[in-house]
Amino acid sequence: MLKKFTLKNFKNFKDEISIDFQNVAGFQFSSDCITDGVISKMLIYGRNATGKTNLGVALMDITMLMSSIKMLMPNGVFLNADSTEQTAVFSYTFLFGGRELIYKYSRMSNQELQNEQLTIDGIDIFKCDFAKRKYDFTNLQYIEAEIANTDRYLHSLEADEELEDANEARLPFLRWVINNVALKNDSVLIQMANYVQGMVRITVGSSLRGFPKIIYDSFHELLENPKRLKEFEEFLNAMGIACRLVLRKLPDGQRQLYFAHEKLIPFFENASSGTMALVTLYRRVISRLREASLVYLDEFDAFYHYEMAENLIRFFKKRYPKCQIIMTSHNTNLMTNRLMRPDCLFILSRMGTLTSLCDATPRELREGHNLEKMYISGEFEQYE
Amino acid sequence: MSNYQDEVRRRRRNLLIVEGNHEKNKLFSLIFKCFPEINIDIEDVWIYGTNIYLLYEDIAKEYGSQWADEKVDIDLPFVISKKQHPQFPCYKEDFINIILVFDYERHDTNFSEQKIMDMQQCFHDAADMGKLYINYPMIESYLHLKALPDCDFYTRKIPVSLQPGKKYKAQVDSETAIGKLFEFPHRIDDLLNGRFGITDEKAREECCKAVLNISEEHELERELEEVLQGLSGDICKNTLKYQLKDWLLKMGYIHRGQSYWECIRDILGKIIFHNIRKANWLLNGEFEIEEDRYKKCYEQIDLMEILKMQNHFSRDENQGYIWVLNTCIFFVAEYNFALIN
Repeated sequence: MLKKFTLKNFKNFKDEISIDFQNVAGFQFSSDCITDGVISKMLIYGRNATGKTNLGVALMDITMLMSSIKMLMPNGVFLNADSTEQTAVFSYTFLFGGRELIYKYSRMSNQELQNEQLTIDGIDIFKCDFAKRKYDFTNLQYIEAEIANTDRYLHSLEADEELEDANEARLPFLRWVINNVALKNDSVLIQMANYVQGMVRITVGSSLRGFPKIIYDSFHELLENPKRLKEFEEFLNAMGIACRLVLRKLPDGQRQLYFAHEKLIPFFENASSGTMALVTLYRRVISRLREASLVYLDEFDAFYHYEMAENLIRFFKKRYPKCQIIMTSHNTNLMTNRLMRPDCLFILSRMGTLTSLCDATPRELREGHNLEKMYISGEFEQYE
Repeated sequence: MSNYQDEVRRRRRNLLIVEGNHEKNKLFSLIFKCFPEINIDIEDVWIYGTNIYLLYEDIAKEYGSQWADEKVDIDLPFVISKKQHPQFPCYKEDFINIILVFDYERHDTNFSEQKIMDMQQCFHDAADMGKLYINYPMIESYLHLKALPDCDFYTRKIPVSLQPGKKYKAQVDSETAIGKLFEFPHRIDDLLNGRFGITDEKAREECCKAVLNISEEHELERELEEVLQGLSGDICKNTLKYQLKDWLLKMGYIHRGQSYWECIRDILGKIIFHNIRKANWLLNGEFEIEEDRYKKCYEQIDLMEILKMQNHFSRDENQGYIWVLNTCIFFVAEYNFALIN
């Protein structure tokens, strides 16, 4: 599980900001928002342009680092525009089977890795400073990787530097170890790699419309399994979209999804915005073969009726009790102890601070409090 | 220059609905000063004076006579502002606290057990629709401790026949062990105004505030000199200094290295604990509570049950009685119990 994420000097976050999943208060209600002592269902509010989307992008940064595909930010804006510091710093604290693993790295304005460091249970396993070419691999035995031929790694770095037009970003040592050392399946590094693979971010605009044909095709292929099609239909029904679905093969061999009425209605051309948002959710999270570890749903209910938004949170709690789900929203109707709790509801401020409601007021928050009304009346104003 | 910005909604306001009695305003002003964590400046509090039954009728005018049965979502700031200045309506979403403080007033000609119970039932959350605190028999009950601690507080009651309120106030004045401390700021003000002729109200207020902030006994004279330096006019500052020094030493708190506000904060905490114990005794027959059970006992206090009990015991005009209990002081415990721990 992810225990804490800390970020500095990235986009609008000039100063350090953390998401501390372990900062749990002793509330006796909505306990399904907490799993193994860690916040597993989190809802973030904040005024427009406070960085809710950027925070999600930053949180997912590790997924790019651990992937071999070079994915730079399209607009090139990476570091905070008011800072003089040369790197953005990311730190992830994980907890696997009682062992604490901290992976910290920094990236430069061109998004290349400048340094990385792994600490397990307080012991520094390795440190790489790529800018100064200083490397410390002295404690690899703690991760049973003492046989790793680190010279080969260093040679590969040098080889990459000689190539002017490298397609790949600088290879982090962590990824190299995971890919080149025969680690045990229960190793914390493998657990971490699996966790990172299971991290998903969905933004409000990631609906299927306008997506490449390959995504439609793969989704249709998925729904060719009648069980999957039924499951998808049931998911839509459960979220309040009453419909029947049918998948047909066209004469040219293409598949097409329809709403089943007296006449068939093409699904993607006619589905509502809310339905399309559910499609993305189903495709990216629910239909995954391996359960997602962390899901960041940015403005997750922008197209949803308030009841559907509530239903979805209940669905997540029931179906994915262990998955860490972070949602951002402007829907204050969800700011309620019926569904959430004050230590799982956060405000992202203009100053770049993330504060839970229970830490945003000296008032002792109780189950009976109307959090939505309190938020609107300015109870937490100093942290907005 | 663009003029896109519309008027910004004013939030974080507080509404204190009382019967217009200065004592109540003074108590809450003191609470807000002694507990700065609550973060309410008395200047930012809209004080609305009314009678509980008039308020009941105002609510009925807006929401219909069945408002209590229908469990209507009442917007008190709207009801009040509509009546007071209809061109500038206010809404509960602008207020972080709505506090209603009323005396029990069994002898009021408009007294109605049902109406007062409807109000108690409806207004139970200061951060939402509002919270009603009824003081038995009156607000002055917070001073009705004969000693600190007062082991007999749980048996304290007054006959219903003791009316009007002046008689109860006189009884509290003669019996209270803490009244002098609460009166101290006013005594200083009277001294500055009456004996030393300082007519500038703001200067008196500043001086009084500074005097009450003093907490160092060995620095007392020097600090008093500094405070009095700010006063202008032809006054004998030396005489005033020694008078104030004498009073401060007699009050006693300065020996403990406390300021006036710290001392009153402690005493308010003790008053709250006495009233929690009394409420617990009324509801469960238990006055003595171990320290670690105070919070739990407080959370179990049902103000509606207390009201029903008071109604029951005070029904007989000749033989009936009212248990002395101050509930508005519970606002601090309700806000955050850790403030009084």
